[in-house]
Amino acid sequence: MNEHSRVLERDELEIAETLRSPDVDLRLPPVLPREPYPIEPLTPDARQQTRAVGQRATRSDARLHGLGQTKYIDDLSFPGMLYARIKRAGIASARIKRIDTSAAEAMPGVMAVLTGKEIPTNSFGPTFQDQPVLADPIVRHAGDGVAAVAAVTEQIANEALAKIVVEYEPLPAVLDPVAAMREDSPKVHAPNSNIYATKVVRKGDIEKGFAESDRIFEARFSTQMIEHVSLEPHAAIADWDANGRLTIWATIGRITLARADMARTLKLPMSRIRIIGTIVGGNFGGKNEISQEPALALLSKKTGRPVKGVFTRGEEFTATTTRHPIIMDYKTGVSNKGRILARQIRLVLDGGAYCSWSATTLGKACILSPGPYKIDNVVAEAFVVYTNKTMTGAMRGFGAPQVCFAYESQMDDIAKALGIDPLEIRLLNAFDEGSSSPTGQVLHSVVIKESLRKAADRFGWEPRS
Amino acid sequence: MKAFGYVSAKDLEHAIALLGEHGARAKILAGGTDLLVELKHAVHNPEVIVDVSRLHELKTIAVADDGLHIGALVTHSDIMNSPVIRDMFPALVAAAHSIGAMQTRNLGTLGGNLVTCVPSMDSGPALIALDASVTVASTEGQRRMPLFELFVGPRKTSLKPGDLLVDIIIPKENLGKPAAFEKFGLRKGQALALVNVGASFWIDREKSVLVAPRIALGAVAPTVMRAPKAEAFLDGCKISAEVMAEAGRIAAMEAKPISDFRASADYRRDLVAVLVKRALANAQARATAKEKELVA
Amino acid sequence: MTDVTMIVNGQVRGASVPPETTLLQLLRDNFNLTGAKLGCDVGDCGACTVIVDGQAVNSCLMLAGQAEGRQILTIEGLASREWLHPIQTAFENSGALQCGFCGPGVLLSAKALLDENLNPSTQEIRDALSGNLCRCTGYTKMIEAVQDAARLLREESRTQLTHARTEATAP
Repeated sequence: MNEHSRVLERDELEIAETLRSPDVDLRLPPVLPREPYPIEPLTPDARQQTRAVGQRATRSDARLHGLGQTKYIDDLSFPGMLYARIKRAGIASARIKRIDTSAAEAMPGVMAVLTGKEIPTNSFGPTFQDQPVLADPIVRHAGDGVAAVAAVTEQIANEALAKIVVEYEPLPAVLDPVAAMREDSPKVHAPNSNIYATKVVRKGDIEKGFAESDRIFEARFSTQMIEHVSLEPHAAIADWDANGRLTIWATIGRITLARADMARTLKLPMSRIRIIGTIVGGNFGGKNEISQEPALALLSKKTGRPVKGVFTRGEEFTATTTRHPIIMDYKTGVSNKGRILARQIRLVLDGGAYCSWSATTLGKACILSPGPYKIDNVVAEAFVVYTNKTMTGAMRGFGAPQVCFAYESQMDDIAKALGIDPLEIRLLNAFDEGSSSPTGQVLHSVVIKESLRKAADRFGWEPRS
Repeated sequence: MKAFGYVSAKDLEHAIALLGEHGARAKILAGGTDLLVELKHAVHNPEVIVDVSRLHELKTIAVADDGLHIGALVTHSDIMNSPVIRDMFPALVAAAHSIGAMQTRNLGTLGGNLVTCVPSMDSGPALIALDASVTVASTEGQRRMPLFELFVGPRKTSLKPGDLLVDIIIPKENLGKPAAFEKFGLRKGQALALVNVGASFWIDREKSVLVAPRIALGAVAPTVMRAPKAEAFLDGCKISAEVMAEAGRIAAMEAKPISDFRASADYRRDLVAVLVKRALANAQARATAKEKELVA
Repeated sequence: MTDVTMIVNGQVRGASVPPETTLLQLLRDNFNLTGAKLGCDVGDCGACTVIVDGQAVNSCLMLAGQAEGRQILTIEGLASREWLHPIQTAFENSGALQCGFCGPGVLLSAKALLDENLNPSTQEIRDALSGNLCRCTGYTKMIEAVQDAARLLREESRTQLTHARTEATAP
């Protein structure tokens, strides 16, 4: 190891800590250190650690968090601000026959009501623009918004929602992603197919691989839908001012994308839209796209006042994106010694009602589905399909945790069946430095075997076979 | 929340008068941990909320001639911190500790836990295992009934509009009776019981047999239930791990669990067998420890 | 309308609010104390935790009227103008808050615990924080921070004791 790759010793660290630990004697001193971090401007080689590794760093926003002074959306308010609530369909699949908002509009304190018909371009989405701001006329999942209300208090807005009458013509709902792939299945986005993105990874000769295998293991694994449950719900404030300029304060992780999407839905030049991304109280992939913001903007335009919208915890579960449930079929051919010779995988991702980040998730799930193992013959096919359920999108790992559950579960099954230690079978198959992935990428900085051995050593793994 | 009227009762007399006046149009606010959630979700739409949370006379824990009186407004935290209850009735401390989290235990009351009457309530099995009774007050006066008769069904008690639960009494003869509470939830903190069990018995030291056993099961029937067959089996049995396990198996057959998103009926039944066995064993361990303490 | 008066962070505060106003709404909307957060609105997440008469409670589960005449401590009252509370120092140094949304509630639960027990075990800390959900997975650091804060508070109380003794013996 050369000088640059050395991890700092404890006493050296303390000097660095003194530099960056905030001075408690002063009221609100800067949390950032006064001296620059002792990190040399070097591009480290692979497997080389910078001096920053192993050091303590104080978060630059820690002071405000601890004092309770961090301002999240719901902590902001503006003179004359109104509160918006969205009426949710509560039905998985339907055609809206009629919406009567007159009783709600007549309520004292209700300043504006908005329906899907009033939205200039009623669709958005980070990949495909397939999601309406407010459903019109087709409702594709129970969490679809059908009308929005702006009122002087949240309580009045809630009461107004109850007075909006919506007549639905129920349509057949598609709830099983595998059934949704059939030609004769009802279409969520008619006339388009329910399969809205696919990916295939091929390597080697799968038939030959299976033919050479001593044992073949087949299993189906499936995972459930998971909500991010960031502690701060989705929230935004929209202010469409008299100059025709729109300012949005929002809990959004992708401001530029949001701005483009807003410009599209509102038919407004991007130059007139300003998005202020506030501190986000937890994102985890769930706040990477707009949701209620266009509706808030239009309510602000209608009323000439700032409008705030904060999702309830219930809406967080029904009307925001979630992690994809995936049905994963694995067929794996192995030698008697435990070497994986061929692996065939079929993934069906339940995409919910709208695409969101499904195409991205699909890709990552597919290329990672064979696992971190040297397999010469691979076929991985992945499909993401529409169903009449809460839409699925980005969430930490983008599909990687689901397939990891599947391939590692099967690894254990194979180890057990062959009487091989679960650690040994992984060491036998795992990538080495310079191995190539199923997509042909040559891998560097591969430390999987070291990591496994070190972990096994640390927690006292004893070979069990 | 929808609009409602609010009146804070000054004392018990005032509270009963207010409840008599408003009857079915009122809801009683004690700890509020269940009521406020139900109001927010519009489960109830009362005209008026009668806030009894300031009735100090319902916040006492005291031993009287007829037994241990625990005021209906005693919070779960109060129970955990009460030297009297910790000494005489640790099973109730265990039940209180298993409810919600610190914040909800500081607000939620024993009386509230009972009258909300969810099948998975934690105080119920612990109290039923000691044959607790309750005092109810209304404009017609006070009456006492066995706690068992309070429970009618899920979220349904025998209380009528205008009634106020005043206190919970552990009869004198059961003070110090070895008892234990066991609960199994999906997590340790903030989890409703998949199954909970309260168990108690006296030990006849001369014959080394179990006397007057009680087994109460929660979350496996519309309301807290006793396991009479298991109790009958245990009564007079020589103490052993085997009879406790057998009592668990009998109780599991008596339970009437349902399947829901938390657990299947079969899983709950298996849990009953395990938890009854554990509760009986823990009650015995407690009795032994107590005896040693006395000898020392 | 319900008229309420209470002591919030050492100051007498009063308001006239609709009866259905929760303590959380009162603090945030009427007193502009936005440190306590609305996370779940049903008492599960603990983001709204405040200390009422020395006890940590979910302010979303209390009506404003119930707080009449009580002593309320919110996160805004933890630090003074000159000093951070040791819990705040410890949380900052440990990097125990990530997105920070659960922070005010966690700190106040920790305060309620340390007010009773200056030497809590890991299990006691976990128990005290079990009503505060964090989705950034920061519990390990939080437990370290509470232990660190307990150490700081013990040192502080020792110093004060020594100080008091010195003063008592001074001529």
